[in-house]
Amino acid sequence: MLIEGRRINSCLTLAVMHDGQSVTTIEGLAEGDNLHPLQTAFVEHDGFQCGYCTSGQICSAIGMLAESRTGMPSYVTDDLTQPQPELTDTEIRERMSGNICRCAAYPNIVAAIKQAARMPT
Amino acid sequence: MKAFTYQRADSTAHAAAAAIKPGAKIIAGGTNLLDLMKLQVETPSQLVDINRLPLDKIEETPDGGLRVGALVRNSDLAADSRVRQRYGVLSRALLAGASAQLRNKATTGGNLLQRTRCYYFYDVTKPCNKRNPGSGCAALAGFNRIHAILGTSDHCIATHPSDMAVAMRALDAKVETLNHEGEARVIPIAELHRLPGKTPEIETSLKSGEIITAVTLPPPPPGVQVYRKVRDRASYAFALVSIAAIVDSTRGRIHSARLAFGGLAQKPWRVPQAEEKLASAAADTVSFNAATNAVLDGARGFGGNDFKIPLTRRTLHSVLAATTRT
Repeated sequence: MLIEGRRINSCLTLAVMHDGQSVTTIEGLAEGDNLHPLQTAFVEHDGFQCGYCTSGQICSAIGMLAESRTGMPSYVTDDLTQPQPELTDTEIRERMSGNICRCAAYPNIVAAIKQAARMPT
Repeated sequence: MKAFTYQRADSTAHAAAAAIKPGAKIIAGGTNLLDLMKLQVETPSQLVDINRLPLDKIEETPDGGLRVGALVRNSDLAADSRVRQRYGVLSRALLAGASAQLRNKATTGGNLLQRTRCYYFYDVTKPCNKRNPGSGCAALAGFNRIHAILGTSDHCIATHPSDMAVAMRALDAKVETLNHEGEARVIPIAELHRLPGKTPEIETSLKSGEIITAVTLPPPPPGVQVYRKVRDRASYAFALVSIAAIVDSTRGRIHSARLAFGGLAQKPWRVPQAEEKLASAAADTVSFNAATNAVLDGARGFGGNDFKIPLTRRTLHSVLAATTRT
């Protein structure tokens, strides 16, 4: 989930620690019947099978894209001093490694995230 | 999880005073503590939340180093432009640790104080001298693939899991603390973590009621900075062996080298004799071998982790070759 727009693991924090902060879960992404661009992209690219990990994948991807826009590097970024590392497939995979998919829908998850990354936010 | 009370600290002094009470525990990021509480490895009766204390700044020091507040999140420290430009080994080590979600929560102080990931420490049905002093060590004759080969004792062969601390060890970072009486102290990172000996339950030199407030980094030493992590999968896994290296060389001649190792011991491992073998030496197999032998002096495998000895040797050779190529 997202706390003040940053992705964290909901199972590793206490609600009381976030009193007064904005908390966004998968339920809060769509506006009425209008899906969030990442939700649309996951549907279009078939980015899931059983769906168990999907809420986490989508919330995490939203946080990841926000991190990327601020220039956050990753372990696979060759040159850490470059202010805006390019979001290649390798970068997306490394940055999303905290979200494990038992159905191994990874190729489609990466495709969905790439599509959403091109959309204005 | 056992029931506990919760309070939010409004000052570091307040937090330290609250932390000294029996059963009280400080919570910062909580990414390790809450896991341990769910398994009842940790059973605090009171949590003291320090997340809203003003310890989240990264500041320049007068000598050209950086002072990192204890509550600076791992992701923010890794992304800081000064860290990326001057302390690449630290940025890379942070990015090698855990996952992005965990790094967004985990703090500088908490990362240093995280507990081992020894399977038997986590399994409350098994003996563990760290969790239950005197009960024995199930890892000695158990599954010990991830365990230590250096600085072990008959009581414990756990490793310290941090990547960040390994880089900080190579950088000779200093840990600033404050206690419940308002006294400040500076601890060289080499002296923060303890080896298990007969008391593996005592993991650091911090005293009751002493809270980490910051970590200071001296000015960056000259040389190429590398953090190399070898693990069972490419991402989101703890190190089997990791090396933070800062090597200064020109045209095949090494001027100085700093080498710190993760995954090998209960603390980030550093061997001055190994670095001396490289100082003013030619960057070749002879000096690399001499350094490697010095690092592995006294290394001992326990069956499942025997492979760490040759793995450390090969990884160090590879790192030294990579850092002396120019």
